[in-house]
Amino acid sequence: MRRIEDHPILGKSERGRKVTLFFDGQLIEALEGEPVATALMAAGHRVLRYTHQHLEPRGIFCALGRCTDCMMIVDGQPNVRTCITPVRDGMTVETQRGQGQRRDQQPLRGGMD
Amino acid sequence: MKEDDLIICRCEEITLGEIKEAVKLGMTTMNEIKRFTRAGMGLCQGKTCRHLVANIVCCETKQPPSALVPSTYRPPIRPVSLGILSKRLSDDDPKERLP
Repeated sequence: MRRIEDHPILGKSERGRKVTLFFDGQLIEALEGEPVATALMAAGHRVLRYTHQHLEPRGIFCALGRCTDCMMIVDGQPNVRTCITPVRDGMTVETQRGQGQRRDQQPLRGGMD
Repeated sequence: MKEDDLIICRCEEITLGEIKEAVKLGMTTMNEIKRFTRAGMGLCQGKTCRHLVANIVCCETKQPPSALVPSTYRPPIRPVSLGILSKRLSDDDPKERLP
């Protein structure tokens, strides 16, 4: 998938330098400063997390930082809204399952049961 | 896909059918629906589903939106980690303060 380079309203995009991030252990090329979710979508990854009740896949929905469908584990921190989190070189992002957990923590909650 | 299987609250995965059922069982205000179904109690705190739920309740109870008792609004408006809330402002690094 390609990025929009010249938007009819927003104009030409100012591109950051090429950097790399780690997505579930895989190297992804991204542009510094663009949202993490954008970088993943451009690299063809649309599933960002799985829901806590039915473990259904979720991807970008509102892309405004409101809906929380793009929550991922970023540098070990769960529940980060990746649609409004800028890419930094060498950052680690992981697919979040359920409500996520920090590396030093037990799972917060597995479901409603 | 049946209409009742539509997901209304994306965070808590609550369907249209579950909200209609709650209304049938007597939940007619936003707070009652929220506490009965958990719609609006997830990560986004109802930012996405609040208006949908209000419209469904109005349709099911045949009342105008102006007659619907709204849900309680409480801060914080944005997701904030407990770590930030527990930090004393005097210890705070100004660079880490919320905008």
